[in-house]
Amino acid sequence: MAVEVAEALEAAIGELRTALGTEYVMTDFHQRAIRTTNTSPMGLHQWKDLLPDVVVMPASTAQVAAVVKIANKFLIPITPRGAGAGLADGATPMKRGIIVDIKRMCDILEIDDEDMTVTVQPGINMQELNKVLRPLNVWFPDDPASYPVNVLGGRIGAGGWSLLGTGYGHVPDLVCSMEVVTPTGDIIRVGAGGGRKIRKSSVGYRLKDLFIGHQGTLGICTEVTLDLAPRPQAQLPVFFATRSWEDAHRMTLAFNRSGIRCLSGVVMFDEAKVEFLRRDDEAWIPLPEWVNSAVATICYGTSVELEAVKSSIFDIGAANGGVYMGQEISEGDWASRHDRYHLAYHGRSDGTIRLMSWSCEDAAITWSQLPTVKRRWYEIAEALVAKHPEHFDIWGMFMYTGNPFRPWGDFLTEIDIGVNELEMTPEIWADWVEAKTQIARVSVECGGSVSAAHGGTREGEVDVACYEELKDGQFDLMKRIKKMLDPNNIMNPGKYHLDEAYEDEETA
Amino acid sequence: MSQQLSSKPFYDEKIEGTIIPLPLIKDCYAVFACRHKFCREVCPVYQDDRDESHTSYGFHTALLGISQGMGELADIRETITNCLECGACELRCPNTLFGGDFYGASTTTVDLVRKVRRDLVASEIGFEKYEEIVATVDRYIAYFEGPEGDLTKWADGLNLATSGETMLFVDYFNAFETTDIPRNAAKILTAAGVDFGILPRPGATLGELLDVNLETFVEMGRHNVAALEQAGAKRVIIINPHDYTYFTRDYTTHIGELPFEVVFITDVLEELTNNGQIVFGEATASEVFSKVSYHDPCTLNKICGITESPRSIIGKLPGVTYIDVTPVEQWSYCCGKGNASFKTLHPDTSYKIGAKRLQAAADLGVSQLVLACPHCKDQLTDVGARSGVAIEPVHILTLVAQAMGLD
Ligand SMILES: Cc1cc2nc3c(=O)[nH]c(=O)nc-3n(C[C@H](O)[C@H](O)[C@H](O)COP(=O)(O)OP(=O)(O)OC[C@H]3O[C@@H](n4cnc5c(N)ncnc54)[C@H](O)[C@@H]3O)c2cc1C
Ligand code: SF4
Repeated sequence: MAVEVAEALEAAIGELRTALGTEYVMTDFHQRAIRTTNTSPMGLHQWKDLLPDVVVMPASTAQVAAVVKIANKFLIPITPRGAGAGLADGATPMKRGIIVDIKRMCDILEIDDEDMTVTVQPGINMQELNKVLRPLNVWFPDDPASYPVNVLGGRIGAGGWSLLGTGYGHVPDLVCSMEVVTPTGDIIRVGAGGGRKIRKSSVGYRLKDLFIGHQGTLGICTEVTLDLAPRPQAQLPVFFATRSWEDAHRMTLAFNRSGIRCLSGVVMFDEAKVEFLRRDDEAWIPLPEWVNSAVATICYGTSVELEAVKSSIFDIGAANGGVYMGQEISEGDWASRHDRYHLAYHGRSDGTIRLMSWSCEDAAITWSQLPTVKRRWYEIAEALVAKHPEHFDIWGMFMYTGNPFRPWGDFLTEIDIGVNELEMTPEIWADWVEAKTQIARVSVECGGSVSAAHGGTREGEVDVACYEELKDGQFDLMKRIKKMLDPNNIMNPGKYHLDEAYEDEETA
Repeated sequence: MSQQLSSKPFYDEKIEGTIIPLPLIKDCYAVFACRHKFCREVCPVYQDDRDESHTSYGFHTALLGISQGMGELADIRETITNCLECGACELRCPNTLFGGDFYGASTTTVDLVRKVRRDLVASEIGFEKYEEIVATVDRYIAYFEGPEGDLTKWADGLNLATSGETMLFVDYFNAFETTDIPRNAAKILTAAGVDFGILPRPGATLGELLDVNLETFVEMGRHNVAALEQAGAKRVIIINPHDYTYFTRDYTTHIGELPFEVVFITDVLEELTNNGQIVFGEATASEVFSKVSYHDPCTLNKICGITESPRSIIGKLPGVTYIDVTPVEQWSYCCGKGNASFKTLHPDTSYKIGAKRLQAAADLGVSQLVLACPHCKDQLTDVGARSGVAIEPVHILTLVAQAMGLD
C-alpha cells in the first residue's frame, strides 16, 4: 500500500472510531476475512486479494451517513453488506476499503396492520420479521430459498426474486418506500406520497426502482417500508412426476394458461436435477425409477379457494403426463425448499465424496426458449466437466415461474454446478469464468436476462450483462447516473464495470 | 441419549500459530462453503450483538482464513470467547441436519471452540479472563482435595448409602451452590422407593476444564467412572444436565464406553410417575392457579435431545396450567450462563441473553418458568433480580417435591 493511501486509511479509521465507537470499527484479519465472501464460489486463491481494510457496524442512519462522508473525505471505497448470502458477489469488496455491515440495524419501527405495511431497518431477516408479524395474521411474503438467512438490505441491494412471487410479487414489488443514504452521504427518501405507504402514484420519476437491485453501487438503504399481505389460510403443494422433461415443460404451459389466480409458483426439475437429488440429497424423498423429471406447484389462499382449484390442478397434471406423488411427497418437497440447497459434502456419480461448493446461474428465460437454453447450457457445462472432472460437477436444473403476480411468461432458469474451491487454480478458474460467460451469452441470445434474482455482477456474466444485455444505451445511462450520484466512485466500486464512468476523467 | 453424530479425532491435533491440520481445514471449509449461514440467527450471542464473527460460520471461517495465510491463532483469542457452547448452531447447520448421517460430518462447534481455547492455552497465548477461569477451576478442584464429608454436606440428615446398583451423581455446583436441588432429588427417589447411593468423593465435572485443561477433566472423569463402578453402579442418575453431556459425550469420547447406564433425572421421574411409584397429591389452593412455561436447558435440548420427560412431568403436576414453547423454537434461547465459562468471560452479554429469555416467558403471561438445570436456575434468579422481570424461576424438582408433599 502506498504511504499516502495507508495514511489516509489510518486517519479514516480514527474518524470512524470517533463516529461509531471503537468496538464497531474492526480491523482484525478474521473480522475482515469472514466478510469478504458471499455465497457464490470464489476460489480460495482469490480470498486474500479481496480482503477489505476495515469493517464497520453502524447502528443508525446518522452513523451510516457519517461513514459515507468519512469515506468521501478520504476517498476510501465502501461496500454495503447484509447477510453476505448473495450469489452475485455484490457484497464482496473489489477495491478493499470499508465494509459497512448493516446487521446491527435490525429494529422493527412500525407495524401497521390496517394500511398493511411494516417499516424496518435493513439488517432484519425475513424469518425473524415474520415471527413477530404472525400473531397479527399478516406476513411479509418475500420468500427466497435463502429466506432464513438474508436480511432486507441485501434483498433490496440484489432486487431479489421470491419463490412465491407469482402469487405475492418479488422484492421490487414489495417495497413501498425507502430511506437511502446516497453515495455522498445525503439522506433521502424514495417512494411516492407524503407519507411512506403509497404503492401507486403517478407523481415524478419512479426513483424508488433505481435504488433496488443496484448491488450497493448507488447508496445504502437504512430504512424501508414494506407491503404486507394477509397470512394465507391454507396452502396446497402438489408434486407431479413425469417420464420426460418435455412432459414437464408442456405441463407448465398448461398451468400458465389455466387462469388459476391462487397459483403462487410452478417449479420444473429436469432429468439431471432428479438424478442429482437421488444420489446426493438425504432429505430427498425416494421416487420410483421411472421418474425422470418433475413439476411442483404451490397455491396459497383461503381453504374454500384451494378446495375449488384442486381438481383443476390434478387434471392439468394428469393431462400432461404427470403422476401425482401424494400428499406426503408434495408437502415434504415444498417444506424443504429453504433447506435443500447445498452442503459442501457431495456424493458424485462415481460414488466418491467431494467437498464442493454451489454455483447457481439464474437467468430469466421465456417459456418458449427453455428447451434451447437447456440444451446449449448443458453443452457448455459438459465440456467444462469433461476438461476438469475433479473440479466441476453438474447438479441439474430448476425452472421457476418468474413473472410477478402471474404464472406465465418468464422463468427463473437455474443450472447448478459444483465447484471445487479448495483446489482451485487461476488457470482452472479462467476456464470456469469462460464457461459462465458462454452460459450468460446463451441467455441473452435467447432473448433472456443474465439474472432473474441475484444480479449480474459476477466475473463471467458481468461482461455479457453490461455489453450485450444492456447494450442499447442502458449501460451508458447507468454510467451517467452512477457518476452523477457518486462523483468519487465511493459506493462498491468495481461492480457492473461502472468504473468506466470515471475513466475519461482519469485519462484527461 | 446423546445425539452427537460426529466425533472428530483430528481435533486432538494442535493448531500451532499459522498451521492448521489438513482434516481441520476441510472440516472448517465444510461450514464456510455451506454458506446457508443458518447458524447465525439461531445463535443467542449473535442475536444480541449481530456480529457474525461470534458464530459457527465466524469461527470456522476464521480458522480457514488462518490456513490460507491471512492470520494466526493468536488473532482469534478474543473472538473465540464469544460462544456459550450451547450447541444451537450444530443442530441448525445443514451439515448436521441434512448431511450428518449421510456423510458422517456433522458440525461440532462446541467441541471446536473448546479445542481452540485449549490450543490457545497450550500455546501460552491464553485468552481474555483466562486467569479467572483457571481460578474458578482451582476453587472447585480444591473441594476434591478437601476434607472428607464436604462434598456430601448437602445430604446431611438424609442417611444416603455410598454404594448401590443405582447411584445418584451429584456435581460440585449442586453440592455447594444449589443444595436444595440434590436434596429434593434424593428425597423424591427415596419416597418413590428407589434404592440408591451417592459417591462420598465425586471428581470434578467442570465444563471450564474442557476449555482450559482436558487432562484434568479426563483424570477426574476416570476417577468418577472407576468410583461409580466400584460402588456397584449399573445405573447412574444425573441431576445436572451439563454432567449428562460430559458422561454421555465427553467421557465416551475421551475415556471409552461406560460400564453403566447413564440416565437423566427427569427421564427417571417420568418412569416413576408412569409406573405409579410417584403419586402427586391434590393441588393446594395456592397452586391451583399457577401458570407455567418450561425452559429447555441448552445441554438437554440442543446437545442431548432430552425434551419430552420434563414436559411430561410438568403436565402431570396438579394445579398447573402449562404453556409450551417447542424445543425447536428454544434452539435460539439460552439462559445466558452458557455451558461453562461464558458468564465469566462476558457478564454483560450473559445478562442480556438471560433477560431476553425471561422476557419471552413474561410475554406468555406465565408466573413461573420451570427449569431442569441448576445453572439456569442460578442465572435466571440473578437476572430476574436485576431486571425486575416478574417471573419466578423454579426448578422442576422443587415442584415435584412439593406435589409429593415432601418438605
Ligand atoms: C441457498 C441460497 C438460496 C438462494 N435463493 C434465492 C432466491 O430464491 N431468490 C433470490 O432472489 N436470491 C436467492 N439467493 C441469493 C441471495 O441470497 C439474495 O439475492 C439476497 O438478496 C442477498 O441478501 P443478503 O442479505 O445475503 O445480501 P448481501 O449478499 O450481503 O448483499 C447483496 C447485495 O446488496 C447490497 N446491499 C446489502 N445491504 C444493502 C443496503 N442496506 N443498501 C443497499 N445495498 C445493500 C450488497 O452490497 C450486495 O451488492 C440465494 C442464496 C443462497 C445462498
Ligand atoms: S454454540 Fe451456541 S453460542 Fe456458540 S456459536 Fe453455536 S449457537 Fe452460538
